[in-house]
Amino acid sequence: MIILTTKSKNKKSKLFSSDSLATISLLISFIVMAIFFTSQSEFFFTSTNFANLARTLAVVGISSIGMTLVLITAGVDLSVGSVAALSGVLASMFWLELNIPLPISSLLALLTGALVGLINGLIITVLKINPLITTLASFSIIRGLAFVISDGQTNMLNNQGFYFIGRGNILGIPFSLLVMIVLYFIFFIILRYTSFGRNLFAIGASPEMSRLAGINVDKHLLISYTVTAFLAAFAGLIIASQLGSSAPRAATGLEFTVITAVVLGGTSLAGGKGTLIGTLIGVIILRVLNNGLVLMEVSSFYQEVARGVVLLLALSFDQIRSGFLHLRRERT
Amino acid sequence: MSKVLEMRNICKSFYGVKVLKNIPLELESGEVLALLGENGAGKSTLIKILNGDYQMDTGKILIDGQEVDFKEPSDSEKHGIKMIYQELHYAADLSVAENLFIGHLAKGSGPIGKHLIDWKKVNQDAKKALGLLNVDIDPKAMMRDLSVIERQIVEIIKAIYGNAKILVMDEPTAALTPPEVEMLFKIVNDLKAKGVAIIYISHRLEEVFHIAQRVMILRDGNHVATKNIEEVNSDSLVELMVGREIEERIIELSDNKATAPALEVSGLNKFGSFKDINFKLYEGEIVSIFGLLGSGQISLTRSIFGAERADRGSIKVYGHERKIRFAQDGKNAGIGFVPIDRKVRGLVLDMSVLKNLTLSNWNNLLTLGFFKNKKERAHSQKWIDALGIRMAGGIDTAVKFLSGGNQQKVVLARWLEANVKVLILNEPTWGVDVGARSDIYDQLDMLAKQGLAILVVSSDIHEVLAISHRILTIYDGQLTAEFSHKEASQDLLLNAAAGRLA
Amino acid sequence: MIKFLKKTGLQDVIALIVILVGIIVIMSLSSNLFLSPRNITNLLIDSTTVGIIAVFSTMLMIGGGLDLSVASTAALCGVIIGVFQASLGIFPAVLIALAAGAIVGLVNGILVTYVGINPLITTLGMFSIARGLAFVFSNGLTIPVFDLSGEHQAAYDRFTILSEGSFLGLPYPVIAMLLLFALGVTVLHLSSYGRAMYAIGGNELASKMAALPVKRYRVTAYVLSGISAAIAAIFLTSRLYAADPRAAPGVELTVITAVILGGTSLAGGKGNLVGTFLGVMILSALLNGLRLQSTSTDLQNIIQGLVLLAAVGFEQVRTGNVNLDIRKMFSK
Repeated sequence: MIILTTKSKNKKSKLFSSDSLATISLLISFIVMAIFFTSQSEFFFTSTNFANLARTLAVVGISSIGMTLVLITAGVDLSVGSVAALSGVLASMFWLELNIPLPISSLLALLTGALVGLINGLIITVLKINPLITTLASFSIIRGLAFVISDGQTNMLNNQGFYFIGRGNILGIPFSLLVMIVLYFIFFIILRYTSFGRNLFAIGASPEMSRLAGINVDKHLLISYTVTAFLAAFAGLIIASQLGSSAPRAATGLEFTVITAVVLGGTSLAGGKGTLIGTLIGVIILRVLNNGLVLMEVSSFYQEVARGVVLLLALSFDQIRSGFLHLRRERT
Repeated sequence: MSKVLEMRNICKSFYGVKVLKNIPLELESGEVLALLGENGAGKSTLIKILNGDYQMDTGKILIDGQEVDFKEPSDSEKHGIKMIYQELHYAADLSVAENLFIGHLAKGSGPIGKHLIDWKKVNQDAKKALGLLNVDIDPKAMMRDLSVIERQIVEIIKAIYGNAKILVMDEPTAALTPPEVEMLFKIVNDLKAKGVAIIYISHRLEEVFHIAQRVMILRDGNHVATKNIEEVNSDSLVELMVGREIEERIIELSDNKATAPALEVSGLNKFGSFKDINFKLYEGEIVSIFGLLGSGQISLTRSIFGAERADRGSIKVYGHERKIRFAQDGKNAGIGFVPIDRKVRGLVLDMSVLKNLTLSNWNNLLTLGFFKNKKERAHSQKWIDALGIRMAGGIDTAVKFLSGGNQQKVVLARWLEANVKVLILNEPTWGVDVGARSDIYDQLDMLAKQGLAILVVSSDIHEVLAISHRILTIYDGQLTAEFSHKEASQDLLLNAAAGRLA
Repeated sequence: MIKFLKKTGLQDVIALIVILVGIIVIMSLSSNLFLSPRNITNLLIDSTTVGIIAVFSTMLMIGGGLDLSVASTAALCGVIIGVFQASLGIFPAVLIALAAGAIVGLVNGILVTYVGINPLITTLGMFSIARGLAFVFSNGLTIPVFDLSGEHQAAYDRFTILSEGSFLGLPYPVIAMLLLFALGVTVLHLSSYGRAMYAIGGNELASKMAALPVKRYRVTAYVLSGISAAIAAIFLTSRLYAADPRAAPGVELTVITAVILGGTSLAGGKGNLVGTFLGVMILSALLNGLRLQSTSTDLQNIIQGLVLLAAVGFEQVRTGNVNLDIRKMFSK
């Protein structure tokens, strides 16, 4: 019998599991925020506003699923906003310029989005270029392509079927929200109960260990980046549908909002850690914050400031808390 | 007994340099073969070829008489070849159970279930696997919350669980305490009885005699000899490894007349690491702290230097009380610190010998923030000559190209350049070749004669006995005994370090 | 000099010079305006914003840091000049802008080193905050920066001369940039600060254990990065007679591209300013040449992204650090 000198540490750490604590602190800040906005604006706690909130959740929500996968593998994708814009532009250009039926145009736009992700993934795995640099480059390239292809123009997308993606309701629930919920459910299962999902965590924690365990690391990365871009392209279609038009300027800064939401939800930038439930809460908090500020008629300039401050505050809090929990565990 | 593995004429080159030349290896089921050699002899390359991490240039590998071709580690795993690596690879934020079965977590049943992971079964399997070593680790605990030793045990279980036919263990006992080592040996014997063949790599020769049936020695990529354990003794093994006779180190310690206490530690405490530490270290003295790994000695010395913080207690250097919270405080108090893992914590590998050497003390080398080139070179050269640091390509060579022993001397020299009065060394000869060790011992002796106070932390009992004026033993975070050089013996030290005091 | 070049990687420098000469040849062949003195002057002046910031970004990145907030900070500092000049006069306003740049850098530095947030995310947050503040302070409007009252003509003349004056045919901003590069090279290779950057970027843990005040050096690097953005903003504002909250769009990407093109490693510990200078010149020549051919700015984004990928990819191919087993990635 090996006598281990750990005493009751395991039990203690369960009680103060950093994950559950993070989720609880998120929920508390969410409630505080909701109370604050309710006190500040009579419109906040109304069903109209909730319906409005629900409709605007899907774009960031769906993009955040992919970002969660990528961050778990210790990567990052800065190109999601550009991909969303390109997707909307392509759908309208295929339809208007090439006279391809809109459903097929939309599908082609989605596939092109996925292709961008595949290329991101190939650059990261074949040339072994840092994901940050790779997607910073494609952030620039893809946004440029959206402008070049559309010639900088906004194009109308007048089509009732297409409107349904972003504006339609099923049983009073926004269609985009339903899709988002289904996607969250599917990816929750994938992350929790499939080899693919678990392997992503292993890869994020240690690519070397994963390789030795016989995991095809590169293939997993390829799929993650492809899925991320595919979902971003879908978010782009939702934006185009909601606006009734496609613009190369669309979804500017989406990557930033998405990363903020995912990190807020407790996913670690260092990889190997993260949950979709956390991400979902992060998405909702950001949307509610945005919504509340709009209702309080705060200038949109301040909203950009607020977004950055929230991100940095959330992370600072997270760091300080984990520093407190791991006080006895030295890092150097 | 049957031949389970045969490697024939294995050759491997890197960038035109032959690192393995016609290496043969035979392994029978149910035996332990110790693989010995100095650093760089080719042991790890050979092992990496066996597990499919590297591809050999020429040669053959036969498993049960069948030729095999391993393209990647998962290929060798399918043939029952399992590895226990020296450095741990684990996912800190995943559970123990998941770490055990990464890459092949148990699936459920049914048309959908067979694609989904059955966590209940995973945890049950983990419990069963952990039962192999009789350890009380919660399969649901996060790896992050485990101690280093517990993580190592999980690694070992990960390798031996399942269909291990050939098990390669690369320095598996480096971080284990003697009772744990005994436990490990028991498991090794169990596995042997089940017919598992084991390749065992270790620097600790006494372990080899304890566990191995045969030894195979590599030197500079050549196969030197394979012998039955009865045919060799530890002197002949060292000779085979080093290629020349190592003269027995004659301990001729200068008797230090009690001078001024250079370092005085009193009432030092750190919750969970060490408690109530009191000792004095005198000028010109080498004192070793001997203890089993994990007894708190590393944390203690780090706290004296300022790499971590003690909860309370006082540290005096030459009579002056010093408040030490950061490494800078330690340095300013005149304390230097040589860490265990010099490649991670000791050296900036891509920087030159020169720049590494002066890294801790720029004060005398700067005017208005700019380096005085000539002075810096002169200072560095002085230490290179004094300590006999050898490198091809001169003082501007990147330090990564130096041998382990010479790298260690660079770290040592850095603190001498920083003019410290007290030098703390952690495991000064880890990863240093047998041949270069006595050289480092001589240097320490010389420095002590010049008045430096030296505190050594070591888990190598021979080293401790060879170099120390005094030896302090530590057990469970507390100093248990003090021996003068004359009093100390292996038995006494081991007993004191295991908390069994007469 | 030769010895110094050898140390900094003579081959890389020659390769960069070849690329630069190649671009100059191609551009001058396709437009005879390219080599005109007027255009050369324009090109050089245009390169100063990126160049000035790149000097300090190089040092920061060698030390293992990263600053994506430089362009936003420059816009903020410009707006600060615009806001304070009216009440306090132009030169106090400039000093306040420098202080603001330093403060932004200080906040970045503290968040990265003392709080422990990932530099990418920290500066991405600051990217949003600083730009947002620029819009808030300026109300989203461009602020004219010249002597409206006619009472401080002399002071404003001295401010304008910063961008309009020249010495030996070289405009002052270009001279300032060259001086900063020269200063940077000296500091990087001969001073304790430069040595510390290489050490910390090369091995942070070992630097800590060698009793180097790692955190202090790192914060200093971020502060300098912020100040460099302020310096760039001063010249930019002087040149435009105005402060624009939209100023310097995408400059952070150009700076990173130039620095990486010049051979600085994103992982830290490696890099030099000769390479960065050539990187800045290559990008400036490329973008200027494209502009002469009235290529839209969108295409420039695409090309800049491609250059970034090509630069990093080429380095990977040259060092053989690539993974060509693509088939395996798609295999089961």
